Amino acid sequence: MDREFFASRYETKTDNSFALDDNIMVRGGLTTAGSKMLQNFVSPLQATVVDRLLDAGMELAGKTKIDELAIPTVSEDIFATLSGAAGAVSEGLCRIALCNDVSGKNRRQAPAKGLYYIHPTYGTVSRFGLVPAVSSMDQLGVVCRDIDDGFNVLGIIAGHDEKDFTTFPEKSYSYAPKEGPFRIGIPVNVMEAADEESGNSVNEFAGRLGAEKFELKYFEVLPQVMYILSCAEIGNNTSRYDGIKFGYRTENYSGLNDLYTNTRTEGFRPDMKLATIIGAFVLSKKNYEAYYLKSMKIRRLLREHADELFSRFDAVVMPLRLKDPEPYRNMALYAFATLCGLPSVSIPFGSCGLQLIAQARNENILYGICKGAVKDGI
Amino acid sequence: MDLKTVMEYEAMVKFNLPGSEREWIAEKASMLEESFNELSKVDTDGVEPLVSVLNFNSALREDVSVRLVSRDEILANSPDQYDGYFQVPRTIE
Amino acid sequence: MEYEVVMGLEVHVELATESKLFCSCSAKFGAEANENVCPACAGMPGMLPAVNKRAIELGIIAGLLTNCEITRTITFDKKNYFYPDLPTGYQITQLYAPICRNGFVEIETGAGKKKIRIKQIHIEEDAGKLVHDYRTGSSLVDFNRAGVPLVEIVSQPDFRSSDEVIAYLEKLRALFSFAGVSDCRMQEGSMRCDVNISVRKAGSKELGVRTEIKNLNSLKAIARAIEYETDRHISAIETGCEELVQETRRWDDNSGETYPMRNKEDATDYRYFPNPEILPVHISEEWISEVKSGIPELPHEKYERLTKEYGLSDYDSKLITGSKNISDIFDRTMEYVNNPKEVANWIIGDLASIAREENVPGDEIRIDCEKFGKVIKMVENRVINRTIGKKVLQLVFREDMDPEIYVRENRLGMIADTGYLEDLVREVIAANEKSVLEYKAGNQKVISFFMGQIMKRTQGKADPAAVNSILKKMLS
Repeated sequence: MDREFFASRYETKTDNSFALDDNIMVRGGLTTAGSKMLQNFVSPLQATVVDRLLDAGMELAGKTKIDELAIPTVSEDIFATLSGAAGAVSEGLCRIALCNDVSGKNRRQAPAKGLYYIHPTYGTVSRFGLVPAVSSMDQLGVVCRDIDDGFNVLGIIAGHDEKDFTTFPEKSYSYAPKEGPFRIGIPVNVMEAADEESGNSVNEFAGRLGAEKFELKYFEVLPQVMYILSCAEIGNNTSRYDGIKFGYRTENYSGLNDLYTNTRTEGFRPDMKLATIIGAFVLSKKNYEAYYLKSMKIRRLLREHADELFSRFDAVVMPLRLKDPEPYRNMALYAFATLCGLPSVSIPFGSCGLQLIAQARNENILYGICKGAVKDGI
Repeated sequence: MDLKTVMEYEAMVKFNLPGSEREWIAEKASMLEESFNELSKVDTDGVEPLVSVLNFNSALREDVSVRLVSRDEILANSPDQYDGYFQVPRTIE
Repeated sequence: MEYEVVMGLEVHVELATESKLFCSCSAKFGAEANENVCPACAGMPGMLPAVNKRAIELGIIAGLLTNCEITRTITFDKKNYFYPDLPTGYQITQLYAPICRNGFVEIETGAGKKKIRIKQIHIEEDAGKLVHDYRTGSSLVDFNRAGVPLVEIVSQPDFRSSDEVIAYLEKLRALFSFAGVSDCRMQEGSMRCDVNISVRKAGSKELGVRTEIKNLNSLKAIARAIEYETDRHISAIETGCEELVQETRRWDDNSGETYPMRNKEDATDYRYFPNPEILPVHISEEWISEVKSGIPELPHEKYERLTKEYGLSDYDSKLITGSKNISDIFDRTMEYVNNPKEVANWIIGDLASIAREENVPGDEIRIDCEKFGKVIKMVENRVINRTIGKKVLQLVFREDMDPEIYVRENRLGMIADTGYLEDLVREVIAANEKSVLEYKAGNQKVISFFMGQIMKRTQGKADPAAVNSILKKMLS
């Protein structure tokens, strides 16, 4: 059972233990990030979040398996294979787990296992010691069984890190559920595209708490924007993997160019290679303006739209699945929060679960809504 | 995207894909390219690109040199090292 | 047919910081391979860039010294390509918002004064170093230099001769080394220069085909390469013997020729994009003022002070302000000997000749200025004579021993006792009747002969002025 979820396992009790996705570094241990490229990589660094959890007295249960580098993929059904973190927590092999949920996989899958996933505001949790996928979107979040536990752990790992200049100045956070009532928004255009079961869970929730309808702008182009921006950064974050300094090196080379091309062709899975090629494509001189620059502009429009939305609503509710099973299209459900750096929580409400998104730094609103939902009986 | 174009990008990112993979990528990339062209429908006139969602400026680090790890730790993961250097096949000037 | 050569320069200068641009590894030159390396500059994942404050300040200073506009909010970008000396597969540089723009440098050549316009200055990180192992046929990579901060100074194509290019580089070097921006040593690689060159018919407004020359490791090489490449262009235009293409060429100092580079740099698509890991750096008015007031005295300011306040000659002042090292030695020695003319003389006369004998170039002269000051004082106070002084200085230079102790232990004190000297002079005169006659016949040079004899007998310690006056008295 363990082996299904863990990339490497440590000897611990489970009642005070945490698991880490295998892209989070522990000094002296392997950090493979689910990639052949890092198959034997032993990091000399330790992630700040690990230091903080260990200092708080928690124990490391192990490293959970992830899809290669935790990147959003579009050819394989990223949502079909179970997240190692969600699996390990749901099997009781550890109390909580940390993940980088750029792809949305954990937000999608946690509720199906009866778990919560807390995805914090970008800039809340240090990324020092995280193998980066998409630097402008990566953020470590918490898989947990119990929402109070989850926010308690978030309070331990969150806070300014002088080793990560992209963290907010606040030294520490202590989360407490905000009191309602809450103004909830429900995006009609997204709901139209949602699959039935997922839509029902959202509607049930909206019915109980009351929700106002709105149109989520740019929803139709979120897959493109998300994928274009992600691929460019992913391709760039992985250009350091070349078999020279560490990691996988091909056995098949005669000169420098072969060393590069064979190592990188053999070391990455096809979906990763697709993302890399697309990354080069959207950044090339010919295409930069039409694709990459364009996407950065739409990202700004989206962020402005979010500001406008959250002046009307405390939180927005979203389904977890679309009728269209294509992973590329489903990315849009998670891209809104990810692109804008907004906090979101996936909760096991109803038969399918749902996600709630709030304005940046408003985790306490999400916490408050969750407590209310628990009261109402999940 | 045709195979020739895929090969151009492969050269940029140091891949040398087997034929079947190259075809698969060409196919996927063509579909994606079509999808990307939908972006032109969004009016972005006068919009500043967003690089980071954070709205504060960079902190600055004091100019003090600190040793973080030993040379051995740096070389420990290397597939090929010689006398303190990382070793690679001869580069051509 | 008269031709005009048109050139623009890209000069890379390594900033004199303690640590690297985005990590805290030492930026100092000379360590063993991969000693000054951390996971970030070795290309490992997991660390985040942390902008070096001093590097930004030195960038601001570089801009102030070259009369540029300082950009108030600067950002960094990623430039993508693969090469073993580039640990992450990209270089962090500035494309969209460089730190300085639109400046100029005034130069002076034989043809007069001229302003060279600066298009921009941007900050970027340096790459590592590749060493080629001829025995094994492999290349060895050292990341010590990877991540060291550089500024790249891009000029407009305002140069019309290699003299102008040399004057510009020397001016940059003087300004930057005095202001502490960089030591600008071409031999150590802390200043590098690429030349963009084209040739056109004199009077024409259009630019000819442009080639870029790289691998220029000394001012001499630059002058030779410009001459070679100019000739090559002219020859190609006039005879059509080869086709001129826009390309990057490598200068080979041994053969004295340029060759096209194998990796076609112009064809590379660097896929630049803004770096989301580094937030914008804001440069306020206050910070610029603070930085400006901290700039040390510049060569031309010092020249003014040396000539006007101290009354040093134009020649001496130019020499002292021509090198940061010599200028520093002057300043530090002045702390011990408050006599600028004396100090200048000792540096330009004695110290310089000692250094030449020992084959030490001006920039590399190292001496304990307190000890230097002691030597000067001892001569000034007539404890030892000038000749002994120079010998003692030579020993201080070579062995750094304490001059006062040395003089005492070796009893080198000046002999000025008139009685004793008079006896000596009488002896020497008596033993050299022939020479006395020559002197009386009008041969002034005999005085030196007698002086030499006295010095021999006193192991060089006699007071030359006293001996001279005694000799003149006794020989008359």
